[in-house]
Amino acid sequence: MSAIAEALPIPLRAAGRTRRASALLTIAKRRASLTSKTPRQIAVPLLGPAILALVVAPALKVATGGLHTGIDYTAFVGVGAVGLVIPLSSIFAGLSVLVDRHSGAQRELLAAPVPRAYLVLGNLIVALGLATLQVAVLIGLTAIRGGAFHITATGLAWFVASALLFTVFMYGVAETLASKVTKQEDYVGATPAVAILPFFLAGALYPITAMPAVLADIAKVFPLTHALALMRYGFIDPRGGSLHDIWGMHNVTAEAWLSIAVIALWAIALTAISIRAFKRSAVS
Amino acid sequence: MNKLKSKEISAPTMNGHRPDLRIIDGAGEDAGAPAVKVSRLRKTYPGGVEAVKGIDFEVAPGEVFGLLGPNGAGKSTTIGMLTTTVQPTSGSAQLAGYDVATQPLLARSVSSVVFQDAVVDRALSGWANLDLHARLWGVPAERANRRIAELVEAVGLSELIGRPVSSYSGGQRRRLEIARALVSSPRVLFLDEPTVGLDPRIRHELLDVIVGLRNREHMTILVTTHYLDEAQRLCDRVAIIHEGQIVALDSPQALLAGLGREILEFRVEGSTDAALSALRQRGVARGDSFAIGARVTVPLHEHATTEALAVIESERLRVSEIATRVPTLDDVYLELTGARLDEAA
Repeated sequence: MSAIAEALPIPLRAAGRTRRASALLTIAKRRASLTSKTPRQIAVPLLGPAILALVVAPALKVATGGLHTGIDYTAFVGVGAVGLVIPLSSIFAGLSVLVDRHSGAQRELLAAPVPRAYLVLGNLIVALGLATLQVAVLIGLTAIRGGAFHITATGLAWFVASALLFTVFMYGVAETLASKVTKQEDYVGATPAVAILPFFLAGALYPITAMPAVLADIAKVFPLTHALALMRYGFIDPRGGSLHDIWGMHNVTAEAWLSIAVIALWAIALTAISIRAFKRSAVS
Repeated sequence: MNKLKSKEISAPTMNGHRPDLRIIDGAGEDAGAPAVKVSRLRKTYPGGVEAVKGIDFEVAPGEVFGLLGPNGAGKSTTIGMLTTTVQPTSGSAQLAGYDVATQPLLARSVSSVVFQDAVVDRALSGWANLDLHARLWGVPAERANRRIAELVEAVGLSELIGRPVSSYSGGQRRRLEIARALVSSPRVLFLDEPTVGLDPRIRHELLDVIVGLRNREHMTILVTTHYLDEAQRLCDRVAIIHEGQIVALDSPQALLAGLGREILEFRVEGSTDAALSALRQRGVARGDSFAIGARVTVPLHEHATTEALAVIESERLRVSEIATRVPTLDDVYLELTGARLDEAA
């Protein structure tokens, strides 16, 4: 053993914003490191949606003749598949919180002199980065498969804003669920209800007007419905047909702002709920 | 004792309020203050389970303090309250003057924990785990690197530190966790059952490491254990905790002195109560003699072994496995808790 320098109190670095930002970044870097060690967390959420966009959508387009609205069905479903990628990616990210609690370093993080909300927000930052990567890959693959996109700078902004806010919402759902359940089996068991069911009701594969009116009205509450409508408005349908199906207004820009507000409210609410749920689960 | 130089802790802010900056100086106003102060601390879990029933104790800077007790005695709940993962029902606790309930960030900034079971990122390297601690506790990078290198060598992990923790043995992982807790040079170190689950050889190796670090680091250590030899070896003072209450608190030497210099132990065929009663009536045994099952333990104090044996023979007690030995904390512990457990049964 070597001599250890005599113990001195180590001053914490400058308080305030720098210290807080540094702590948040540290937590995010840790999560990024752990995620990079589990490639399945990066690839698996992409498999189903990619098959949907690359195989199912073109096949349905051939079989049914597409949407008859001038919108390319492959691109329509390619964007719709984003509504599966983001929930699955978020659910995987939430699962890692459970792993952290049972066999990881969560208690060490809870003993650290950082606000506990940062443990949620640090993970959220990585979930956002990973979802962005996965969505970019999915859209890229759809384009290669022949999906017809019409992307402008404004359209890209609507797409990115809605995708990011929806990811924040979904991560909030996943984190809340991870804080509420004690067993991984229970968490996995809840996945179909929170990640897959809304996908079928939110107009991912067909316009919501193709469903019975009551289901279409229910779908309008889901943030996913608004997110998909905005993403299509940004990338494949500048006329905003999906937004019009939700709001029935004549001003598509106003409809877009209303939908982004809906997703933002959901995102803020679920983030607040998830932080509260995490704090409650962390302290007995 | 603490050899802290004059330093300023620039602490993290809480809820936008900048907390007071405190001078921690071995010769300053905090020099005589306890490193840990617990007053009337109580925890009742939902459902009415009273895990901790209003305990009080203080730990001086630089002291190694042991909380001894069986599983369920309330040790881990006490550590949980001191490390802000368990909300006290009532009472108060302070670490280096910071209240754990109202100043949790400051309390956490001056403490570190070695948990009862493995709490590490197994996919990351040992170094990454230590570096994470340094960053979260705000240790400047250069100092952190130097400190980590010193500690890694001190706990004998230099060869392994770049490997994923998943490849470590249980003992290596525990040594890593001890090194991690020391990276931020905490004023208060919590060791929650640090050797539980380890095989005897590794347990003794780890105790050596802890004793070595204790002698070099001069920090306040609060250790929980149900291994009484461990407490005897490590602690300046111990509190024996039983069913959520502290039933004894003193130095191991003082607790042992209460039982005299020698103990007589034997097995009784028949009633242990009758045997104890006979020995007490003849003045060989005092109130601190006790029985657990068929085994009777008699602190001899000023009496000679031959006196006790003479009483056993004259009272025609049917005994076997007679032995004498020096008292250990086990005897103190059994005297304080075993009898009560018998009464409860």
